[in-house]
Amino acid sequence: MKRSSMYLRMITASLMRRRSRMLVALLSIAIGATILSGLVTVYYDVPRQMGAQFRSYGANLIMTGTDGAFTTEDMAKGLAAVPADALVGAAPFRYENVRIHEHPVVAAGTDMAGAMATNPFWRVEGEWCSSDGQLLVGKQIAESFRLKTGETLTLSYTPENTEAAEDVTLDLTITGILDTGGSEEEYVYLSLHDLETLTGEAGTLDVCELSVQAQAEELKQYAGQISNAAPGISAHLVKRVTASETTVLSKLQALVLLVTVVVLALTMICVATTMTAVVTERRKEIGLRKAIGASDKSIITEFMGESMLLGGLGGILGAGLGFVFAQQVSLRVFSSDIRFQWLIVPVTIAVCIIVTGLSSVLPIRSATEVDPALVLKGE
Amino acid sequence: MFLRMIRGTLLRQWKKMLMIAFTIALGASLASAMLSVMLDVGDKMNQELKTYGANITVVPKASSVLNDLYDVEGDTSGTYLREDELGKIKTIFWAFNIVDYAPFVSTQADLPDGSEVKLTGSWFNHHMELPTGETLDAGICSMRSWWEITDGTWLDEQTMTEEHSAMIGAALAERLGIHAGDTLHVDGTEAALDLHIVGVYDAGGDEDEQIYAPLHTTQTLAGLDGKIDSIEVSALTTPDNELAERAAKDPSSLTVSQYEIWYCTAYASSICYQIQEVITDSVAAPVRQVADSEGAILEKTQLLMILITILSLIGAALGICNLVTASVMERSSEIGLMKAIGAQNGAVSGLVLTEIFLTAIFGGVLGFFAGFGFAQIIGHTVFGSAISLKPMVIPITAVLVVLVTLAGSIPAIRMLLRLRPAEVLHGGH
Repeated sequence: MKRSSMYLRMITASLMRRRSRMLVALLSIAIGATILSGLVTVYYDVPRQMGAQFRSYGANLIMTGTDGAFTTEDMAKGLAAVPADALVGAAPFRYENVRIHEHPVVAAGTDMAGAMATNPFWRVEGEWCSSDGQLLVGKQIAESFRLKTGETLTLSYTPENTEAAEDVTLDLTITGILDTGGSEEEYVYLSLHDLETLTGEAGTLDVCELSVQAQAEELKQYAGQISNAAPGISAHLVKRVTASETTVLSKLQALVLLVTVVVLALTMICVATTMTAVVTERRKEIGLRKAIGASDKSIITEFMGESMLLGGLGGILGAGLGFVFAQQVSLRVFSSDIRFQWLIVPVTIAVCIIVTGLSSVLPIRSATEVDPALVLKGE
Repeated sequence: MFLRMIRGTLLRQWKKMLMIAFTIALGASLASAMLSVMLDVGDKMNQELKTYGANITVVPKASSVLNDLYDVEGDTSGTYLREDELGKIKTIFWAFNIVDYAPFVSTQADLPDGSEVKLTGSWFNHHMELPTGETLDAGICSMRSWWEITDGTWLDEQTMTEEHSAMIGAALAERLGIHAGDTLHVDGTEAALDLHIVGVYDAGGDEDEQIYAPLHTTQTLAGLDGKIDSIEVSALTTPDNELAERAAKDPSSLTVSQYEIWYCTAYASSICYQIQEVITDSVAAPVRQVADSEGAILEKTQLLMILITILSLIGAALGICNLVTASVMERSSEIGLMKAIGAQNGAVSGLVLTEIFLTAIFGGVLGFFAGFGFAQIIGHTVFGSAISLKPMVIPITAVLVVLVTLAGSIPAIRMLLRLRPAEVLHGGH
């Protein structure tokens, strides 16, 4: 008990007496630890955060009916099979042939909020539809028919299975022109409810686009779960989006990993050289201790204890600073909170202790091996 | 005398000096590696994002909707682009940024079982000798990288032996019971041909019900010699900003200088505009799904790398600073001795600074090349291509090394100069 308290006093006193030199060493260890914990945290969180960015490519999972159309109940069952926090958006679509000025056009009934969440790349000149009775017109259609926002457009529909020869018509206000650079520009979009009023049939859908934040493997699993939960639905991956995302995301993660490894290796060497310099400086002290009769073992334990205590303190400081750094990166780049891996804290501290320990062991050894007289003489 | 003293220090204390040089080399290599990677990551990620396919489509001015809407048959003048103009895409101002492109022409054809199928003609790996002396293999082999070949191989235009080869979608192949190596008789609107099926692809979309054949095979079937429906272009672009958006709506609304900036920047809209200039009666538009997402992801990646670079630069700077301070402090007795025998403060600082700077230059140069080597390792491992050396990296690294060395040594030297020689030499600090 007495021995160990004396040991502690020696270590702490030595740290306190050489305050400025030790602060320098502590700072360098803390920087190393900050880089370690900060970069590793970012590395682990990159797939999740970047995955969210990739959702701007739109739907990566499509639900279609196993034979033709499916019902809204099926859709609800299917959606329930996907975890709510992974689901970025779901947009049901029902396509019908309608006529504008007696020319056939494809009208798509959808849930506008869902379509907006699923397809962030849709650009609307004017405004998105916010209620029933409104219409979003594809750019190509708008150009062909010379339509402008604010105008009222009449859609007419010929019911298929009824005797009545009368066409059903519906007047809608154009709130926006849709610009996507794709085939969506050739359709008109209205709310599902309006389309159901127009056709007189409710409750069926042709396709449902899902934007799910998940990697290809998880997506396949979700697709299976959806097909199981709702037998009327078959779910497919949108290969173009999922395959490309896997390629690009894996490259990105490899990039961050390699950068982390290179930066870490270099910083850890930096920490090691600083520690070596700090210990080498104290050759005289070691010589003096040997001269007044200290054993090699006691000198090594004392100096190692000092280095490792420094390593531990630097590690704790660095783990905290690293978290701050990772959080700043996350807020600035992805504007969302980082998910902190708590395991990184003990790992950072352990790595710091090991690196400082290893880098001081060699100079201490070489100092103890030399004849104290020579060291003290300064040769 | 000054030179002799410096040489003396460097030779006698070479171990200590080597340590300083080593730390500075580490810091400099960290800085140059991270800066090189950061400055090149935009280009590299841009290349990777090309796997999403085309970001620009070119269609005839007489829009396809009209064709669909009114079912115009027979007279189709103005609804096609000209095949002989395709080469011109590689002659525009931003030709270097056009990575890949492919023309498309599609037609309906009858199958032996009576069903009708959509047959699309395109380039697979069309070989082009460009006027600049470069060669380019363009086509859907690279632009449909997400297609999975379930049977057979990709159609190779250069080595195909049969005159009329084709690839077939997985769903259609299953329905018809066709495998790679089989022959399929198709009856087009103008001619009938036996297509040699080279491969079956699974695209996970509508294409699975279609047949893809080389451009000329499809043109022969449909009687559309020299005509194409659309062109898909994959280009490296700069994310849109406010100027680009304004220009995309109406280029004539810009002032002359704004127009020049816009025209000479690789925005999707300016590349579209330049394509329209060379392809007769065409409308080129960015595919928002690809173009917008690319911009967002590139920005995020670059920002991420910048922040990581800043952290490692700070780390490198503080690391060097530390060691330089430590090594100067160590020489307190030497400096004390010099002062005791009458050296001026200026002379002492000059001597110490020169020594450290000689070491720093040595370490910095060494570190710069080592760092560039690290950058190459990262480039080859992750992207399979070399990281290009941006001239900017050299001055930034140099300034960093100089500033950090100064910041590390000056406070230490000042502190030592303030000490009294007698105290220092006595060892009572």
